[in-house]
Amino acid sequence: MTRERALILVALLAIVGAVAWSARPHETTAAERVDRITSELRCVTCQGLSVKDSPAASARQMRDIVVQRVAEGRTDDEIRDEFRASYGDWVLLSPPVASWTGLVWLVPLVALVAGLAVVFGRMRPPSPTVAAPSARELASLRERVAREEALDLPQTDGAR
Amino acid sequence: MPRWLRYAIVAGIAALTVVLMLAFRHDPLDIRTGTVGKPAAAFTADMLDGSGSLSLNSYAGQVVIVNFWASWCIPCKEENPALVRVWERYRTSDVILIGIVYQDSLDSARRYVRDNGVTWPTVTDEDGRIAFAFGVRGIPETYFIGTDGLIAGRHVGPIDEATLVNAIEALRPKAKR
Repeated sequence: MTRERALILVALLAIVGAVAWSARPHETTAAERVDRITSELRCVTCQGLSVKDSPAASARQMRDIVVQRVAEGRTDDEIRDEFRASYGDWVLLSPPVASWTGLVWLVPLVALVAGLAVVFGRMRPPSPTVAAPSARELASLRERVAREEALDLPQTDGAR
Repeated sequence: MPRWLRYAIVAGIAALTVVLMLAFRHDPLDIRTGTVGKPAAAFTADMLDGSGSLSLNSYAGQVVIVNFWASWCIPCKEENPALVRVWERYRTSDVILIGIVYQDSLDSARRYVRDNGVTWPTVTDEDGRIAFAFGVRGIPETYFIGTDGLIAGRHVGPIDEATLVNAIEALRPKAKR
């Protein structure tokens, strides 16, 4: 093994080790839970900002509610459901799949499947669509070939 | 392209057109919330004038109009004359109008009440919990609570007198009209 290969192997092992270390199961703190939940909730007075990212007063109040509910021992789903009870699914930045808004997830998948169907349809070799010549046409063609051979003319593609 | 795929594409475009048509016909003031059709959240809040507290439960069985506003809100000021007229019309009846101050300083809110003829009960919501429980997204917002305690409707934006009266009369028991 060359020195370069050894270095690449060590680097790869280091990367895998770092990923495994960061992904190790660990106890989620209350602050992490608050951050996670508020990043999934929409600020109701902002344009496309999460409660976590928004500096608006309403977002701060919503964050306070999440902090309180986490401290009370509510589960993430219970907290989300409380917000959904007030604002509907709209308040979730990622709409739940099992709802009418779940179409947001479904439509791109349907479009992807349709696109793949078109692509594979085009890649398939075209099926022979030219009908076999009838006996009469064959006879006519043979006669023409024989005539041209007799005259020693160059063969044409029949377009003339 | 296979025939079924052509039909599918045409059907997809048609469905998208229908969805867009329905979306454009939708009233922008009729923003859906999770609370309409459900029991109004019970709350007890401090009166803005410092005269104690107000509890929604004490108006059980009555038609209650809940209006969220703030002194800095221009559309709130626009709708205020309609609220004043409607309150004058119903103040001696079984209908109650409650104002809830939304994200405002108490001093500014008190000055607004004094300068704009707001004589209906008005409470504070300093931590925003009442607004959250009702699903308020922006002000002004007005909620109509029926005698059964359910939120029958919601109006986003400045409301006019006719809309208020129609909503109230639709909720009042016939015997009391």
